[in-house]
Amino acid sequence: MSIFKKIVNLVRKSEKLTVTLQLSPAMLWILLVLVIPLCIIVIYSFGKTIGIQLLPERGLHNFIYLFTGEGGLYRSLLLKSLGMALLITVCSIAIAYPVAYFISLRVERYKYTWLILLMGPYLVSWVIIIVGWRLILGYGGLLNYVLVQMGLLASPMGGTWGSWGTVVFILMMGWAPWLVFPIFVSLEKIDRSVLEAAADLGANPVKRFLRITLPLSSPGLLVATFFVLLPTFGEFVTPILAGGSGGAMYGMIIESAFMGWPRWPFGSAASVVLMIISLVVATALLRVIRLERLMEVL
Amino acid sequence: MFRNIGERSLKIYFYAFLVIIYLPLILLIIFSFNDSRRMGFPPQGFTLEWWQRFLSRPEAVTAIENSFLVASVTALIATTVGLMAALALVRHFFRGKRLATSAVVLPLSLPPIVIAVGAVVLLLAVLDVELSRLTIILGHVLLALPYTTLILMARLIGFDRSLEEAACDLGANEFTTFRKITMPIIMPGVFVALIMAFIISLEDVPVAYFLGGYDTTIPVYIFGLLRWGIGLPVATAMSAFMTGIMLVAVIISVVWTRRAEKT
Repeated sequence: MSIFKKIVNLVRKSEKLTVTLQLSPAMLWILLVLVIPLCIIVIYSFGKTIGIQLLPERGLHNFIYLFTGEGGLYRSLLLKSLGMALLITVCSIAIAYPVAYFISLRVERYKYTWLILLMGPYLVSWVIIIVGWRLILGYGGLLNYVLVQMGLLASPMGGTWGSWGTVVFILMMGWAPWLVFPIFVSLEKIDRSVLEAAADLGANPVKRFLRITLPLSSPGLLVATFFVLLPTFGEFVTPILAGGSGGAMYGMIIESAFMGWPRWPFGSAASVVLMIISLVVATALLRVIRLERLMEVL
Repeated sequence: MFRNIGERSLKIYFYAFLVIIYLPLILLIIFSFNDSRRMGFPPQGFTLEWWQRFLSRPEAVTAIENSFLVASVTALIATTVGLMAALALVRHFFRGKRLATSAVVLPLSLPPIVIAVGAVVLLLAVLDVELSRLTIILGHVLLALPYTTLILMARLIGFDRSLEEAACDLGANEFTTFRKITMPIIMPGVFVALIMAFIISLEDVPVAYFLGGYDTTIPVYIFGLLRWGIGLPVATAMSAFMTGIMLVAVIISVVWTRRAEKT
């Protein structure tokens, strides 16, 4: 009997060995590329460096600087980014909801065809969506042109580009097409006879929506929140390209600490704070959502 | 009557939404042929100059190669690794299963920038590795892994295992059973997982930006052009190129889905 066959027989007999073999690539990947690196940035966040060389000193100085330094600039940026992320989440869900509602409860044929069509714009990169919106909102863009033609503006102005509102708007429009899907999935699961029963008992459409449809679709809303809120916390691409001076976000601190003048310990401390907030939020959300719901969406 | 107004505005809202999400992408394609340096309204006439410039820049062409290479390799690795993990997580009970499941969802629970920063510190400071396309793949597989694993788990949960048992009873060994019974049934899931991982890799900026070193992918290259305000028309042409590919993919899937739904 060859060695190969011996190994095969061994694996066949032991369930434990099968599980280990099947799981180890994924677990090793996550351990080596995610868990260990996160431990290392925790170590860095307490440290000091020359270049990228870590010195033996340890302390809380990076965190203290993050929360009090530059006249509280970083702290207020953190709070502002949290607020923006929440606002973006709520707005993108709000504009996606009627679309999901329409497909689930009003469209009768080709529901999935419409869904695929709606998801299209989500498939291109953020930077490309930003280039596109710049042609509409930027200086001399479509919006300006239309306003000038209508006589509402004397000359083109760039005021709609380069503010925190631009960042919120672009991220909201970018996420919405994808959010239609989780909301649609939860709406599809609502038993239509419940809605009919409510109508028979005299509930008007508004009441039916508020008392039945909306609460029953809340799992989809939570899944949507999970998908938008966490990446938006750390967003730096959109604020850099579309934020101007007023649209800065927390992720830009981390970006400049690593890609600009290297201040790794400070950048690590900023990342650790972001990581802790994200993990707390994600754990809370996942406890309510449960994995099965996440699976249904994908 | 009020009901009618509500219904009609819902319908109008739906079509308006569809138009608005596609409008930036359509404009992008139009303006990539615009005969003016200034990307403003109204368009100034037709030119192929920006496309020619984009295709004659070696670093832009390399970025395209990098993007598609990284996305293909990422899709293959993330789907294979994800399929193996999904088999273990769905079909076996073992100690630490909850922990393993949480580990799989962990990359989804963190902003990509945190993942990227961690990997950069490990690779540069601890392992002293040169950043390149390979390190981008390392990060992208991590980003795609939760998606591929969950997609395949969903597929495996709805799997009728008596089919495999029947094959075994008829004398097929594990490998034959897997190849002839299991694979064909989960194939649609594998296909979706491959596409999902490919797209995640192709559109990602944060991880490729941090982990690429001197190797850039298309979105990272466009990010650089836009950030420093150089070559906006070229950036528009490159974006139009990527959007064009996306539109073709969407049209194909729309036609397929429509055909599948017709029956």
